Amino acid sequence: MRFVATLLFFSALAAQGPDDQILKDAISAHQAGNIDAAIGGYEKFLKTHPDTLIALSNLGAAYARVGRYNDAIEQYKHALKLQPGNPQIEMNLALAWYKIGEADEAAPIFEKVHKTALDQLQPAMLLADCWLAMGKNKQVVELLDPYAFDRPDDPGIAYMLGTALVRDNQVSRGQAVIDKILRNGDSAEARLLLGTTKMNAGDFSGARDELAKAVELNPKLPDVYSFYGVALLRTGDTKGAAEAFHKELTSNPNDFNSNLQMAVLFKQDEKFDDAMGYLKRALQIRPGDIGVRYQIASIDFETGKVEEARAALEQMVKEAPQFTEAHVTLATVYYRLKRKADGDRERAIIAQLNAAAQEKQPGVHVK
Amino acid sequence: MTRREILSLAAATGLTELLKAGPPVALFEEIPAAASGITWVHENAMSPERYLPETLGPGCAFLDYDNDGWMDIYLVNSGPSDFYKPSKPLRNALYRNNRDGTFTDVTEEAGVAGGTFGMGVAVGDFDNDGWPDILVTSYGNCLLYKNNHDGTFTDVTKRAGLETPGWTTSAVWFDYDNDGRLDLFLCSFVDYGKTEHLSCGDNKLGRHYYCIPRVFRGTASYLYHNNGDGTFTQAQKGTDIEKSPGKGLGVVATDINNDGLMDLFVANDTVQNFLFVNRGKDKNGKWQFEEMALAAEVGYSDGGRARSGMGVDAADVFNTGYQDLFVANVDQEMFSLYKNLKNETFRDVSHANGVAQSTRLLSGWGLKFFDYDNDGAVDLILSNGHPDDMIENYSAQVHYKEPILLFHQEDGKLRDVSAEAGPAFSKSYPARGLASGDFNNDGLIDILIATNGGAPVLLKNQSAPSNNWVGLKLQGVTCNRDAIGAKIRWSGGGVVRQRLKNNGGSYLSSHDPREVLGVGKAEKLDWIEIAWPKPSGRVQKIENPPLNKYLTITETT
Repeated sequence: MRFVATLLFFSALAAQGPDDQILKDAISAHQAGNIDAAIGGYEKFLKTHPDTLIALSNLGAAYARVGRYNDAIEQYKHALKLQPGNPQIEMNLALAWYKIGEADEAAPIFEKVHKTALDQLQPAMLLADCWLAMGKNKQVVELLDPYAFDRPDDPGIAYMLGTALVRDNQVSRGQAVIDKILRNGDSAEARLLLGTTKMNAGDFSGARDELAKAVELNPKLPDVYSFYGVALLRTGDTKGAAEAFHKELTSNPNDFNSNLQMAVLFKQDEKFDDAMGYLKRALQIRPGDIGVRYQIASIDFETGKVEEARAALEQMVKEAPQFTEAHVTLATVYYRLKRKADGDRERAIIAQLNAAAQEKQPGVHVK
Repeated sequence: MTRREILSLAAATGLTELLKAGPPVALFEEIPAAASGITWVHENAMSPERYLPETLGPGCAFLDYDNDGWMDIYLVNSGPSDFYKPSKPLRNALYRNNRDGTFTDVTEEAGVAGGTFGMGVAVGDFDNDGWPDILVTSYGNCLLYKNNHDGTFTDVTKRAGLETPGWTTSAVWFDYDNDGRLDLFLCSFVDYGKTEHLSCGDNKLGRHYYCIPRVFRGTASYLYHNNGDGTFTQAQKGTDIEKSPGKGLGVVATDINNDGLMDLFVANDTVQNFLFVNRGKDKNGKWQFEEMALAAEVGYSDGGRARSGMGVDAADVFNTGYQDLFVANVDQEMFSLYKNLKNETFRDVSHANGVAQSTRLLSGWGLKFFDYDNDGAVDLILSNGHPDDMIENYSAQVHYKEPILLFHQEDGKLRDVSAEAGPAFSKSYPARGLASGDFNNDGLIDILIATNGGAPVLLKNQSAPSNNWVGLKLQGVTCNRDAIGAKIRWSGGGVVRQRLKNNGGSYLSSHDPREVLGVGKAEKLDWIEIAWPKPSGRVQKIENPPLNKYLTITETT
């Protein structure tokens, strides 16, 4: 789903001095599509006028336009401190969260906007997508049912509703929705839906076949190559997977999953520099993502930067004490550093975590 | 291009002889039961309740039980247990090699029919009398058959003190304390319960399925010290072996740090693998093993996850003088080839060797490092099969029966050559145990695969009959009779190679104890050097040994 942050126009702005002219020029550049010049202008203006709402908001939009979503989020947050509740800036902030995959941050804002504009489809769809990512499948069904009733031929609604129904184990209803999409002609969206559904069910070869059709029907469909790559990877075609992730990144360099997967593939081939490039990109998209940081720490460890790995892993296990894999690697790091007592301590933690996981396993005793 | 053009081009380039020769010969040929006489079939006891022991067996072995110089075959079967009462008598099978490519079932006269719910087999000369003895692991209790030197065996389990409760799987004979007698390590699998067993309910088909071993508690394995008088004493107490509850399925005895003390690499299912490094006697005189898989980086996957380890092996794959390790796992986990970094740590090089890519969808059990074409470099065979017989109902990409994979070493890397290896490699099997051995004494190592609920698969190696080799049967005198732990070096064709006589490896299985040294096209082997294990420690050199025959080398005293 592609949405663009709204640019605030400042038509009433009259150039009173040289600084105001800088802002006006930046807005003009922004409108003309010269984003780099616009960013430079906004940044320059904000140095002397840090609390200017329009400059902050527009700089956020410009950052978002070039994929610097985290920088955009900072500008929007600052702007909202100046004018709390500004619906346009809130929406832009939510879109930035949404773009970097922080569905739980974006969802409350989309929900607020949706409640004030029940007749509009866009906020409902964005909210539904966030909830899907958060696993709130039942809420998605409740949210979209009325829209599906009003717009029975909208493939986007059907696609999302079908996904939620299948994931909520309402398989027969979900299948009916998917069938309806297919009856209206084969579509990449429908195939993507079927593919991801099969992938969630662990049917990777089925997913691969559906996603191959989706790619064939619309190679520009967002995420299609990303999911296709995962399906190829899980069915043993590492080379094909790498090609798929590369294609996704060609059209969408900020696809988090493709960046992470490419990094893992390069890491497996011991091409650590290449892997690091993708991981840094992934970390830009999702700052602080612990999975990405774990991969970086393991590469540091592999490449002899053992102290860096140690510091990063120690921080990770502080943040996420249940992160068993981080404890495993940290224990290995300690042993490499000849800190046996620390290694043994981590090992004991791993044993505890495993024992706790063991206790949660299913199964009943029978004679 | 017309046929005439092709033929004229072939003639011009000297290819007509190749064209006349027809299709290439398969590297391995499957010998059918009708030709081999091996008609025994494994009974897996599969029940509607799906008790886990049903899916884990069986193992198999090559051994020369009658010392006639020809490899015989032993096959393990299921049997009565607390959850299974066979409707017909079941037995293990011993097949004598008739020296003409056929085998005769001699189980009854040999007295090795079993009677437990058998799992695996480990062959070793525990009493140093020059005759191989047979240990059978089981769900229930293991069995030790002592060789009577007359084609029969005696069950000495109780007398030997080897009655072992619970569920034992792979086992390995090795001399951990270098006293010249083979000790025994027994992998213990999970705590399966004494009077009741776990049920994991129904799958999507509404049928019971095999519980993933994750749901069971792990157990500590057993180390038995050979007392030298036909009895054994449990020696794991107070060591890391006792302190490390696992879910052991595969074990290999090797020496990862070249200190002359045999170590153990154990594959565990759903928990970390173990690397028990032999540290010798502590200050109190107690023999110690240090479990250091985590520190050695062979306990978990690269991503820090415990996997479902099943088959293992060890060999100096890259001719560095150090033992590398291998472990097979279940689908999506990929198998690992661990290169020895010579400092008690390892690096997983399975991706660089194409192993990870080839095994992503497979579940591996029996496996073996061996030089199948006698070119001097270590190759690898992997037998596979998913443990869940209903897997195809809920996973389209994973199958219950899976293909065997063959890897050939070229330029220091393994390459998957399964597609070129012959029809047996395009078929699928519910493979479990795998044993290597030269049953026809042609110097090319053959393969025996035990399948779950099916007939064994005998693969005759016909890969490189023109490559030269020397076969060695090592006989220790002061060291253990099987010479486990001996270091062999040989020089031929300008290359010096080396091999440690490991023991165990694969899964539930036991191999031809002889070592075949490949020298490729070299027409002469300059020398062979045997460094016998302690307490001997002697180094013995054989100059200009004859090629293409088996030699018996006895330790000089």
